[in-house]
Formats: sequence, structure tokens, C-alpha cells
Amino acid sequence: MYSMYQHTLLGAYINAIILLFLQRVLLLVASDVDALCACKILQALFQCDHVQYTLVPVAGWQELETAFLEHKDQFKYFVLINCGANVDLLEILQPEEDTFFFVCDSHRPINVVNVYNDTQIKLLVKQDDDLDVPAYDDIFREEEDEEEDSEDEGDGSEPSEKRRRFEEEVIERTMNRRQRREWEARRREILFDYEQYEYHGTSSAMVMFDLAWIMSKDLNDMLWWAIVGLTDQWVQDKITQMKYVTDIGILQRHVSRHNHRNEDEENSLSIDCMRIAFEYDLRLALYQHWSLYESLCNTSYTSASLKLWSVQGQKRLQEFLADMGLPLKQVKQKFNSMDVSLKENLREMIEESANKFGMKDLRVQTFSIHFGFKNKFSASDIVYATTSLMENIEKEGHETTNFIKALDSLSRGNLDKLHQGLDLAKKQLRAIQQTVASCICTNLVISQGPFLYCSLMEGTPDVKLFSKPVSLCLLSKYLLKSFVCSTKNKRCKLLPLVMAAPMDVEQGTVIMVGIPPETESSDKKNFFGRAFEKAAESTNSRTLHNHFELSIIELKTEDRSKFLDALISLLS
Amino acid sequence: SVGRRLLGAARCGAPQTTQRSGANRTEEMRQALEEMRALYERNQADVSEAKSGRTDLIFLIRFRHCCLLRNQRCLLAYLYDRLLRIRALRWEYGSVLPNTIQFHMSAEEVEWFNRYKKSLATYMRSVGGEEGLDLTQDIKPPKSLYIEVRCLKDHGEFEIDDGTTILLKKNSQHFLPRWKCEQLIRQGVLEHVLS
Repeated sequence: MYSMYQHTLLGAYINAIILLFLQRVLLLVASDVDALCACKILQALFQCDHVQYTLVPVAGWQELETAFLEHKDQFKYFVLINCGANVDLLEILQPEEDTFFFVCDSHRPINVVNVYNDTQIKLLVKQDDDLDVPAYDDIFREEEDEEEDSEDEGDGSEPSEKRRRFEEEVIERTMNRRQRREWEARRREILFDYEQYEYHGTSSAMVMFDLAWIMSKDLNDMLWWAIVGLTDQWVQDKITQMKYVTDIGILQRHVSRHNHRNEDEENSLSIDCMRIAFEYDLRLALYQHWSLYESLCNTSYTSASLKLWSVQGQKRLQEFLADMGLPLKQVKQKFNSMDVSLKENLREMIEESANKFGMKDLRVQTFSIHFGFKNKFSASDIVYATTSLMENIEKEGHETTNFIKALDSLSRGNLDKLHQGLDLAKKQLRAIQQTVASCICTNLVISQGPFLYCSLMEGTPDVKLFSKPVSLCLLSKYLLKSFVCSTKNKRCKLLPLVMAAPMDVEQGTVIMVGIPPETESSDKKNFFGRAFEKAAESTNSRTLHNHFELSIIELKTEDRSKFLDALISLLS
Repeated sequence: SVGRRLLGAARCGAPQTTQRSGANRTEEMRQALEEMRALYERNQADVSEAKSGRTDLIFLIRFRHCCLLRNQRCLLAYLYDRLLRIRALRWEYGSVLPNTIQFHMSAEEVEWFNRYKKSLATYMRSVGGEEGLDLTQDIKPPKSLYIEVRCLKDHGEFEIDDGTTILLKKNSQHFLPRWKCEQLIRQGVLEHVLS
């Protein structure tokens, strides 16, 4: 009766077939790179099969609700990408009985109602993604009758018998009530444990690619988008190292399958054809589109390990470069103009020297794409470029214009947009590093007990950049990494970080994010979502939990201190 | 001169682009006709005088006649240009013109438009077998049955002939059969997205 909550991908395939015969589908897509990649793959599949769809970008819960209300009369089938899994969808949207939702979301934990609803909500989840959902009977219970009506009223039995039966019934009822209370208490505990920590499952882009593969409609382009989706999760530190390596392995098999023709000299493809290659590449952000020096300074891993915000750190950087035998002049040039002899064994050389300087993970498994003679991009390049385009503050257009531009930049025909994104990304990375350096040097990161706290003042250079959620999260992660390397306090190294930045000066709001502690074997589970909720409730702070990640909120500047106090006492 | 202004209007103004140039240049036309009438009357007077001996007026008469002809040419050019634009409207907008455009057309032009519409419809019915052939669709050879379009501005609800409505909000993207979108693409509401 209670069907399997995990819809296998075959089930999703069948559902996808059903979609073919539908009139039209509404796609609601969240604003992150993984969602954009999943969206591109799904669009390609729909276009292949002539499924009519409408695509609406949504940045948060309010936009999702608005879009749903506007379109519910015209659509019966909705596909939600990277949104909707972690809340009770039916409760929030109140849809009609004949409305169906297909949810492909990497946010975890998935709300139990969504999991156990087998009619209106269909989850697209990979088979081996362990959801850890509590058993059905532990959280749902049929409504039983409270009072068991004594049917034997008109029975004409003796009064003493009647009284005994009545007493028995009272005892039974009390026992039932006690059982019920126990059950409810246990249920609350189970749900609390289940929903306490937020984390991320498999990238939605990879799930979509799997769907395409099952339908035998996968293309190299879709594979690239899946790679970018996974890399986005890695750049934003949303998944563990182990999961990343496992997923890379999965994608590697697909890459070999699609791109093996290049290995054969005779039958190789034209240089203009798109090809993907596996790389054990340097973990330096945008280094092939920048100079090596800039990249070393603006990548969080190298900057934090070498402590580049201090004078000593700068000296260490010079030593590092000298150790590799790279002249400063060469290293400060554009990477493509560097001497070929220096570039030849660059990766191995850097890795060797990096090991001496305490940077053991300077290389990372990733993929790169080639098409034409000039166009070579690493997956992380695309992630940085697309993120910057999506959160571009330079032009004040319609709120969805940036989304559309970022979506376009993922197509190979729009190289100009991609290059624009790369330029913006360089600015963003520089701004992040400068802000991190100033925060560390001015001791802006303070320990509040159960967590570290840092607040950006209005008027800080580039502070506008950090009014956007993804940029602020990136800044927080880099700051935490750097702080951990800079502090001598052993206890502080294990603390999570809460970061605040001014969001809208006119309305007096602040954006606040909470990120988990930076440790080697971190499981990336974040408890700030629930913590923020509770703190807001208990202080009646005016907060807006609009973001799909519950650990990102907006609040009124005046309520900030009481909110923080409540948070401290909650987590102590 | 007035004629030159009318020609300028014909060259740059289209009935639907700007209010000012689209408006029937009734004022200028009236002035042109007024000018022509004045010239004509003076010519009439001078012709009778010339007939009765004053041959030196012949050149003046000739000159005025050239002006008259020129004005006539300008007026006709202007009116003809408007007609050509109105004809193009049928291909761009379809058989129902938006009110903002009809406002700028004179009654005769509306009449002409209706007759052109009818004539085109009759022709289209006669071509292509039983159902006729809608020539206003697929003006450029289509590459695919369905196309992806992006909405450039908030257009509200748009009803397609089979009854379904689409909400066109700025920056929403839609994947629809080509024939449903063509008109909106031509009007600049939707943009064909090539990927």
C-alpha cells in the first residue's frame, strides 16, 4: 500500500515518456549554476522530443509561489529544478488534485511529505543516493477514533458488568492516549534529527544527464553541462571530497565513451569539433585566462596556505616561485604568453614545490573542453564565469535578465558572454581576496562562543558584490579557510562561521549566511537553517527566509543584535 | 517647399513608427493643395492675358505649370508610399491592425486595406488545394517545427488559436510550434533563441 519512496530512474524515464504526450510543461529553475546546467540538459531533451515548455527563473520561495499562482491555470505539469524538495510543496502551493510536480533538487533532506506522496509529487533521485528517510510508520499515523463508542449501551446487561466494561474502556483509552503521546514524542525526535542538518545530494545536472543516458539521447554537450554542474557543487563546497571523486569517476566513464575518437591519430575529429578531456589539473582559479601570479594570489587554497595577506606570506610566495624556477616577469604575464618551455611540465613542477610548502592538494581531478584552436576551458572556469554573470551587479536590469544571460553563456555559440563572465569572475575573485585579507588583518572575525562571526561594514570596497547570496557564500568559505590558517587558537579552528553583509541600504536589510566548520573530513552538513529559524521565532526578528538554502536569510539591520544573541544562546 | 517636406515625410515616416510622422500629413497636404490651387488660378489668369498678346508671360506660365506638376508628383509619391507601408502591415501584423495604427490611417486608406486583405485572402484560398495556403506564414524557410523563443517584454496573456493561453513575462522562455510564435516575433515581443 505504501509504495517505495525512491523513484528509480526507470520510473523517471517512464514519467518522462508520459510528459511527451502532455500538452505543456512549466519549468521552474533556481538561480544556481547546477540548476542552469540541469535546465540546459532538460531543454535539449524536450526540444528533441517536441515537448512544449515554458521556462521561468525563480530566485526564492516567493518567486516560486508567484510563478505557480500565475501559471497554475495553464499548466498541469511542473518541473522544479534545484528547488522544492526540502519543504512540504503541497502545503505551500495548495495545488489542484490533477497537478503534478517533478522535482529534481540536490537539497537535502527531502521533506518527508514529498517522499511519501506517491501521486502528485515525483522525485528525480539517483538510485544510490542514500536519503535516510525515516520509516513511514514512525511519522505518519492514520487518525484513529479517540473515543471508542460504547455500542453496548442498549444491551440490557447488568449494571456491575456495565461498570466493569466502562472501567476497562477508560483504562484502554488512557493507555491509547499515553501510547499516542509517546509515539508523537518519538516522531518529533525522529523528525528533528532528520531535518536538523542541511546538505546536498547528487548534482541535478548529473541526474538529468543520467535521464538522458537512459533514454539514449545523451550528447557530448549534455555531458559537459553535467560536468559543470558537478564542478559547481565542488567550487561552492557543497559536497564532500569523496562524493566529488566518486562522481568524477562516473562522469569519466561517460567522457571516455563520448570522446575516445581522439586517441586514434588517424580517425581523429576535426579541430572544430567539441571534445572533453579528463585533466588532473591545477587547482588555480582561471589560471589559463589570467596570469599565473594573479591566479596564485586569488585562489583561496594557495592564498590561505601561504597566508598571502601578510608580508611574510608575500615573501613565501616569492620563495615558492623561485623554488620552481619561474621568473617573476614570466609569471606575471598572461598565461598564454608564458614561455612554452616553462609551461611544459608546469603541473608536475608546481605540485612538487607545493608539497614542500604544505600544499598537498594543489591538483584536482577535473575536465576541460576544447573546440577550435583558441577555445579551451576548464570546468571550474565556466563555473566562475557563469556565477559572476548570474550575480552581476553592474547593470541594473530586470531581476531575471542576469539569469538569462548566464543561461545563454553555457551555449558554445555565445562565447562573448562567456568571456564577459570570465572578466567579471576575475573582478569577483580579486574582490573576495582583498576583503578576506582586510578582514584577517583587522581582526574582523570574532568568536562568539559557538561560532565565529564577521560582519562587513557598509562602505567597505566591493561590498555591493556581497549582497548576492552565492558571492557571499564564496567569500565566507574563503574567509573561514584563511582564518583557520591564520589563527593559533585550536578551538576556533573547529568553529562554524556566520557572515553578514549589507543587502539593501534603503530598506535597511542585511544578508546573513551560516557555513559549517572547515575541517579535513567535514561532511558539509549545515545546521544553521533550523538555527536561524528558531532564533528568528524566539526574538520576533523581521527575517525573510526566501532563499532555497535555508542557511541564507535576510533580516532588518535593527534586529541583528538580538537575533545574534538568541543564536548564541541557542547553540551554546 | 511643401512638396519637399512631404517627400521627407514619405522617406522617413512610417504610419506605425512615430506618432508625428505617421499622422496623416493633412496639414501639409492641405497647404500643398492650396499652393497648387493658387498657382493654377494665377496661371488661368495669365493664360487669358497671354492669349491676348502678352507673350512674355508664357515662360512664367510654363514655370508655374512645372511647379504644379512637381507638387502633384510629391503628393502622389507620399500617398503611394503610405499605401505600400499599409500593404506591408498586412504581412507584418495580420488581418487585424492594432488601434494605434488604424488611428493614423484615413478612411480611404482603411478601405483600401480591407480590399487588399480580401484580395489576398481570395488569392490564398485559390492556391494550394482545398484549404488554401497561408502565405503570411513561414516567410523565411523554417529550420524546425518547434522553436525556442524568449519574451522581451511583459506582454500579458496570449491566447493561441487552439484555446491555450501563455503568460508572456519578461525573460521567460518558451518552446512552441513555430507557427504560433511567428507573429509575436515579427512584432518584437518574442525573440528567437538560437543555441
